[in-house]
Amino acid sequence: MRIIIATVIVLINFILQTTLFQHLAIQGVFPNTALIIVVSYALLRGSKEGCIIGICSGLLFDIFFGTTTGYYGLLFFIICFFTGKSQKNFYRENYLLPIIFCTMAAGTYETFQFVSELILRKNGNILFFIIKILLPTIVYTAIVTVPIYRILFGVNEWLELKEKYKYRLF
Amino acid sequence: MIQFWEEHKKKIIAVIAIAITAIALFAGGKNLNASALESVIGFVVTPFQDLTTGIGSWVENTAASAKDKSTLLEENAKLKEEVAKLQDENKRLEEYEKENETLSSLLKISQKYPEYKSTGTKIIAKNPGVWYNTFTINKGTGDNVSANMILIASGGVVGKILESGNNYSKAQSILDSRSAVPAMSLRTGDLGVVKGDYTLMNDGLCKMEYIDGEAQIAVGDEIVTSFLSDVYPEGLSIGKVVKIETDTNGLTKYAVIEPFVDLKHLDTLLVIDKNTLEEAP
Repeated sequence: MRIIIATVIVLINFILQTTLFQHLAIQGVFPNTALIIVVSYALLRGSKEGCIIGICSGLLFDIFFGTTTGYYGLLFFIICFFTGKSQKNFYRENYLLPIIFCTMAAGTYETFQFVSELILRKNGNILFFIIKILLPTIVYTAIVTVPIYRILFGVNEWLELKEKYKYRLF
Repeated sequence: MIQFWEEHKKKIIAVIAIAITAIALFAGGKNLNASALESVIGFVVTPFQDLTTGIGSWVENTAASAKDKSTLLEENAKLKEEVAKLQDENKRLEEYEKENETLSSLLKISQKYPEYKSTGTKIIAKNPGVWYNTFTINKGTGDNVSANMILIASGGVVGKILESGNNYSKAQSILDSRSAVPAMSLRTGDLGVVKGDYTLMNDGLCKMEYIDGEAQIAVGDEIVTSFLSDVYPEGLSIGKVVKIETDTNGLTKYAVIEPFVDLKHLDTLLVIDKNTLEEAP
């Protein structure tokens, strides 16, 4: 049940992100909703499940848009791993936490791409990167995180409630 | 006298007949001037003849013209109409000729596109994010579309296909920083490589790098694909130069290129297969 719902969420997001959300971009910048979902999932469910869904989500991007398989997969995996590690230390009901984590993840993601671009193609313009890409992405991500996290949180609650009765956990 | 006539009637008639025949035979076939008698008769008769004929023809003409007037007017109107029509057509044809001249000159310069077999396609998804510009199109190996085919839109090159699935293909536009298109300036023949750049990508521009430092390339020059590529066929137009700057090393220049195709707002494309040159119709 959980697997099916996670798959559906990832796929729906992928479809929407690559088609419809393109039109919501401000100056070409739109937060990576796949990253937000993956990070939120890692926060809600822990490192292990977060890593699995992160890799699947990243590989989906690799298959459709990457030139080399594994780039996005690895990137999502690393981000989810570190986010999920900190799951135990926070109250997940708090909205500030996912916002902070998602902006940090988005910043890491963009920086990683910038660095790889700089190293592999000697194509770095740090001022442009910070002003035109990093800052707008972080601000935009912080705004978009709230509804997405709310939806995932609700779904997760519902699933956990079902599982609680099914497996008689408590 | 009458008695004489009565007596030699037959002889006289015979003589006269012979004489007339003789004269006729003698004079026959010869262009003779009119004799005096004839002239006199003519002098008296011809003016009257002339007059009567004149009157006759006048009467005839008047009658005829009265009868033909309506048809003539009709015909005139019809002819006038036809003249107007022809003039109009002539003007139009002249314009066509002019247009044809400019177009064919354009063709000679920029789009010496040979006729490739092409497939229409649509962009169905775009890579999110600001770093790369790859997209998915809705044609794949099932529609004879495979990797390394070229995408064009009205105006010029859009990109190439990286990978083909059964019913989709992964394509990379020329704005992507991973793409490189060997190109040259059409006017001067200077070679370079058109590369994407993420700092310019959002404005729909790209960069032409490795231009010789002494190249005569200027703003406004048209850039086409060069003969150096084994993916892109030669002579496809890419865009025009917007800005030229010297690289930091001082040896080479780079030019900012504005593609002819509006790559930011694009949905329908053509995939051309450079291996299938279609015979000209």
